Amino acid sequence: MIRCAVWFLIWSSAAFACDVTGQRVNSEVQNAPEVYLSVDEIPLAQPFSLLVSVCSETAVGQMRVDAIMPAHQHGMNYTPKVTALDGRTFRVDDMLFHMPGLWELQVDVDINDQSIFYTSKIALK
Amino acid sequence: MKLWMTAALMVLTGAVRAEVLLSADEIEQTLTFGPWPPSFQSDPSNRVSKDTRSIQLGQAFFNDPVLSVDGAFSCASCHDPEQAFTTPEARALGRVLLDRNTPSLRNLAGLRWYGWGGKSDNFWAASLHPIIEEHEMAHSPESLKTAISESAYIDDFEAIFGDIQDQGPEHALVNTAKVLSAYLETLATDRTQFDDFRDALEDQDFAAAAYYPEAAQRGLQLFLGRGNCVFCHNGPRFSNNEFHDAGVPYFLNETEVDEGRFGGLNFLLSSPYTLDGVWNDDPDKQGAWAVRNVRRSHADFGTFRTPSLRGVAETAPYMHDGSLGDLNAVIRHYSKINTERLHADGEAILSQLNLSEQEIEDLVAFLMTLSKAPY
Repeated sequence: MIRCAVWFLIWSSAAFACDVTGQRVNSEVQNAPEVYLSVDEIPLAQPFSLLVSVCSETAVGQMRVDAIMPAHQHGMNYTPKVTALDGRTFRVDDMLFHMPGLWELQVDVDINDQSIFYTSKIALK
Repeated sequence: MKLWMTAALMVLTGAVRAEVLLSADEIEQTLTFGPWPPSFQSDPSNRVSKDTRSIQLGQAFFNDPVLSVDGAFSCASCHDPEQAFTTPEARALGRVLLDRNTPSLRNLAGLRWYGWGGKSDNFWAASLHPIIEEHEMAHSPESLKTAISESAYIDDFEAIFGDIQDQGPEHALVNTAKVLSAYLETLATDRTQFDDFRDALEDQDFAAAAYYPEAAQRGLQLFLGRGNCVFCHNGPRFSNNEFHDAGVPYFLNETEVDEGRFGGLNFLLSSPYTLDGVWNDDPDKQGAWAVRNVRRSHADFGTFRTPSLRGVAETAPYMHDGSLGDLNAVIRHYSKINTERLHADGEAILSQLNLSEQEIEDLVAFLMTLSKAPY
């Protein structure tokens, strides 16, 4: 039942080094703080959780997380729950990818009163 | 001469060695449809889940008309154990002709949603609603409590739940639903020819896997590939247990429509019998995240829960309204689907497949192997 998730990553320039692990996600904003995702496994059609870490010198405000399947023109059927663990790390629960295929994970973070949008492609078999 | 040719053909057929047609990627996908049967955990929301006495009482209730207000019928009247816990009618016949096809009750333990529209998020609530639905069993909580008190089952009921007179009518109703659910959790389809194939692939025993018919293998390849069936029919149950627009008309008559998931969510979110409610026996309310976080959308209108394909050959007719009589008709529906019937703002996953006659036969051959042999 556990499916293989393949991450497609696009690298952006680093602005602030920090010691986090996981897959880096992309933003089109110049010099956007680095954001990393950490997830153990992504089961098909079952809930899963992930950690999002923001490498920022300043504290991070709110974070919103969502996902869509661009080719299918639909998103998730549930609103994920985002919990701040500290100033820069967030736990995201109740994620659920109900179809195999290419998903786009979307992370929207408030940093210095600016909303910065990140995306990462995940291919779920 | 004719006998000689038949014998020659038999020898020839035996000599032609079947083979595994699937690619490595297809084999990897095929493994995700098992293993079967899965183990299922006790339902934490139902304190009598997996309890032997409760399972026995639930089975007795299921087959007894005591659960209908006038003794007119039992659960088994529509969910016939001799017919895969459904009936061959297109739409269920309760006190009136109901709007939907009677779903089979097998392999339902541990689902996230129940019913074509998903109006329940747990098995005991799904068992409860037909008891008090006016067009089905039509009990009130009060009449049900009286009926059980006066029935031959009162001693068994009280042995499990205590004195029924100490239970309010709604409490007795919920307890009745929970023993029904404890029984229904035990209903599962058997292993199939497909499971033998899948397990042989997992064991890399390709000689054993090659006994799986080539037509079924070609059908499986279509199922995984061009047919895109696996988008919704995935996992060991062959269902993602979510809701989709399959292009089946949802007009009930000239003035009424079946709202599908849209109506199911309206019902669910006003129900006292969800995992987020007071009747949940689990103090941690595991699973309640779904009813708390489920999204509502206009595109829910006319979508229906993906049915499992396990045992599918035994449960005709098909679709939420039973409008398609056999598996061949279902495949032809998707092959020539009328995309104008699909939501303009809904998901874009269905398009005409334009399958050949051979491809239709292959897909049917594959689906047949998801049921117990022979079909």
